[in-house]
Amino acid sequence: MIKQLTARFGRPMTLVVLLLLWFWLIVLVLLPQLIMIDYSFKPNLIPSQLGGPEDVYTLGNYQTLIGNDIHRTIFFKTIWSSILVTVLTLLVSYPVAYFLAQLATAKQVMLIALLLVIPYWINEILRTFSWYLILSFQGPLNALLLGLGFIDRPVRFLTGDGGVLIGMVYAYILFMVFPLYNAIESLDNNQVRAARNLGAGLIRIHWRIVIPHAKPGIATGCIMVFMLAAGSYAVPALLGSPGSRWFTQIIYNWFFEGGDWNMGAAYAFVLLILCIGFIAAVMKVFRIGLGDIGK
Amino acid sequence: MDSRVHLDNISMKFGDFTAVHPLDLDIQSGEFFSFLGPSGCGKTTLLNIVSGFLEPTTGSVNIGNEPMAAVPANKRPTSMIFQNLALFPLMSVAENIEFGLEVRGVSKAERRKVSDRLLELVDLPNSGQYRIDDLSGGQKQRVAIARALAVEPKVLLLDEPLSALDLKLRQHMRTELKEIQRRTEITFIYITHDQGEALTMSDRVAVMSAGRLQQVDSPIELYRKPKTAFVAEFVGENNRLPGKVVSIDGEQVVVDCGAAGQFRGQMGTRLEPGQPCGLYVRPESLQAATAEDVNRLDVSVETVNFEGAHLTLETRHAQLPTQIHVQADQRAYGGQVEQGSTLSLGFQADETVVLPEDRPLETADD
Amino acid sequence: MTSQRLMYWSIRFYLVVFFIYLFTPLVIMSVATFNDSRFPTIWPWRETTWRWFGELANDTAMWEALLNSFIVGLGVLALAVPIGVSAGLFLSTYEGKGKNFYYSLMLSPLLTPGVIIGISTLIFWRNLGVSGGIGLTVIAQTTFISAYVMLMVLARLQRFDRTLERAAYSLGATHSQVVRRVLLPYLKPAIMTAAVIAFLQSFENYNTTLFVRGFDTTLTVYIATKVRTGLTPAVNALGLIMILVTVVLAVAYEVLRRREQNRKDTAV
Repeated sequence: MIKQLTARFGRPMTLVVLLLLWFWLIVLVLLPQLIMIDYSFKPNLIPSQLGGPEDVYTLGNYQTLIGNDIHRTIFFKTIWSSILVTVLTLLVSYPVAYFLAQLATAKQVMLIALLLVIPYWINEILRTFSWYLILSFQGPLNALLLGLGFIDRPVRFLTGDGGVLIGMVYAYILFMVFPLYNAIESLDNNQVRAARNLGAGLIRIHWRIVIPHAKPGIATGCIMVFMLAAGSYAVPALLGSPGSRWFTQIIYNWFFEGGDWNMGAAYAFVLLILCIGFIAAVMKVFRIGLGDIGK
Repeated sequence: MDSRVHLDNISMKFGDFTAVHPLDLDIQSGEFFSFLGPSGCGKTTLLNIVSGFLEPTTGSVNIGNEPMAAVPANKRPTSMIFQNLALFPLMSVAENIEFGLEVRGVSKAERRKVSDRLLELVDLPNSGQYRIDDLSGGQKQRVAIARALAVEPKVLLLDEPLSALDLKLRQHMRTELKEIQRRTEITFIYITHDQGEALTMSDRVAVMSAGRLQQVDSPIELYRKPKTAFVAEFVGENNRLPGKVVSIDGEQVVVDCGAAGQFRGQMGTRLEPGQPCGLYVRPESLQAATAEDVNRLDVSVETVNFEGAHLTLETRHAQLPTQIHVQADQRAYGGQVEQGSTLSLGFQADETVVLPEDRPLETADD
Repeated sequence: MTSQRLMYWSIRFYLVVFFIYLFTPLVIMSVATFNDSRFPTIWPWRETTWRWFGELANDTAMWEALLNSFIVGLGVLALAVPIGVSAGLFLSTYEGKGKNFYYSLMLSPLLTPGVIIGISTLIFWRNLGVSGGIGLTVIAQTTFISAYVMLMVLARLQRFDRTLERAAYSLGATHSQVVRRVLLPYLKPAIMTAAVIAFLQSFENYNTTLFVRGFDTTLTVYIATKVRTGLTPAVNALGLIMILVTVVLAVAYEVLRRREQNRKDTAV
């Protein structure tokens, strides 16, 4: 490794490259995760108790999560809702990505890509905030529905998870469209034409040709969106109500309201395991490797 | 300037694979020297050893009597022209040519003088300010040559530099390269799989196969007196008649080719009576038989190709496994032969070479 | 042919609906800026006003948060770009058994929820006596933004012709001259783009920042706080300004790109 690097960059620069790389991977990526996991297996102690007889490894923090009905329910709801967000985002994004990759002219691609990117250069909070305005009790959606006579009393959209779901799909579309686009773009258009010539219908063409080809893109998009949804704090904090809390909010509360970092670390580790599990499951279902992600 | 290149017991192994078997070689000062062979024969490996990009498994390289073992590639008195030319796309033509001087800390004015002079030499005057993308294939070629010459190397290494050009340009550049070499008196080491290039430009050619030197000789000697079956078949066109050595008579050998008869040829390399061998005769050495001919062969014509100055005939002898190719002056046979004609051919013993059976031809990538 | 026609029109119809979905929220947010109402809304419309821009301009907390966001963004830029470039160079050079492991490890921050990066950074550095604040925010964001830089640099490096390096080297350049004169100029566009993306990523980050910010407030944190406590159309004014800046930047980028393209086309 060092030989290959010095042969290309010489010794001083190899040193700089390796120091920066290892600083990143060890100090920023690996160690903090390991310390967090270590933390999660320890009880929350005041400084004078550290190193004392109570400073031992324990599963107590995890038992709290398992024993707490509310937290457990919220955990499973977070999983379920994040999967729902992922599927909805996939459905909404697929036609756009397909159009971009296979049907659009070069000019259309430029224009649409620009239109897609603009909302995403504005930050997640503002994107979510704009939905907050639309969905609010006295907001324009209620006004519109009232005016059209669909409802006769304003609806509280922001209680329950509906608002959170809409906001999340909106917030993460781009993370689905671009991986899908990249994957579908490499599909030879002649394959689709050949299938059509052979009499395959629209659904069959997509199911048998486009989707299998786009597998790596679908997997990457789903992994990104699920991870963003399950780990989001902003969207549920803005669009959710006290009755529709997200797992990240409980973690936050352990840190900054409960003051129990060890408990928070345990909850965070469970969330991490969930995401790793989801990634592993997706990679298995789609039969792809980690190398296919991020391309 | 002493720019001899001496390779002493050089060999190269990559893991279990031997790319170059141990070899010694002397290349003279100011010589145009080519390595010719199919891809995978080890010629590029040798070039990389001379340039310093590869460290040989055994042996040493000397340039101008100085050992190169401890000298890294960027300190060697060599410069290289790459197959894809590797011109720096973000620099202008002049910046490309001056690069080697720039990194040596030569002043700008000094550098400009050199690049102007070299652009003259390669016949591209006043084009220093162009971008690389603006040049044609042939112009890029010249810039690459100028860039390599700017650092005043003792030895110029050329790795199939003409292979990306179209046929016409390639032939034109051959003459030009030869001319530049004559004017600069630098030692050129040229790598190619194209025998036409090697034969037209080189003072001497080393033919390589499967990591071994087959023969090192002047182009004419290679053509007339191949020393191995590989060289006989790789350089130029040749007809091979398989047979067995009957007797040896000084420099000449009598070969028995079974039902086709017995023939006389030059001994290419040491042979013993009874040894299986190949008798090689060039298409242009096969002429209409005369009374004096020792070697005679009766064939029937299968195909006639008229090519202007000469004809090529694809003929067959009933007892020989392969076709016999004949190249003849159009005046000799013009309008007289056609498919099915029979011909009586004769050939001189001193234009015929007898060589021992070789290992099977190794032309594939290995 | 008719079914293809149907498909042609239905996908266009879908695109229109899709972009309405994408832009309606932004339009409503922008329009509400000009409504003279305590709560940001477009219904009912009271009176058209510019006063929310004034209120925003007088909001010292907002300016402070904006300044913090800039400092954090520049800090992340200064750390993540060298790290990401190093990682890209490393991956494009090293061939061996450990390569996949390194690649997975480099990719992992992108697959880890932002809150967890924030939490682990907070816990780790508290053990070293560093508490939350601007500095820790830079550290935490660098953890995952470096991975974006790495991916962008790597993508360009994969199209790099390494004979250029050998050519420079054989012409007598030292290793560092090869890097400075050949490799870095080639990477420059990717590094510039990566720097812009890194800054934007940092600027808009919320989930990670929330845990490591200590008592410092960045612009996104400020907006989130405002939305939940003391929401007025001044927040919309801020949003509108950010949209306009974004559109201007995006259009400027596009114009520059086209001009560059034209220059290249005419040069040939």
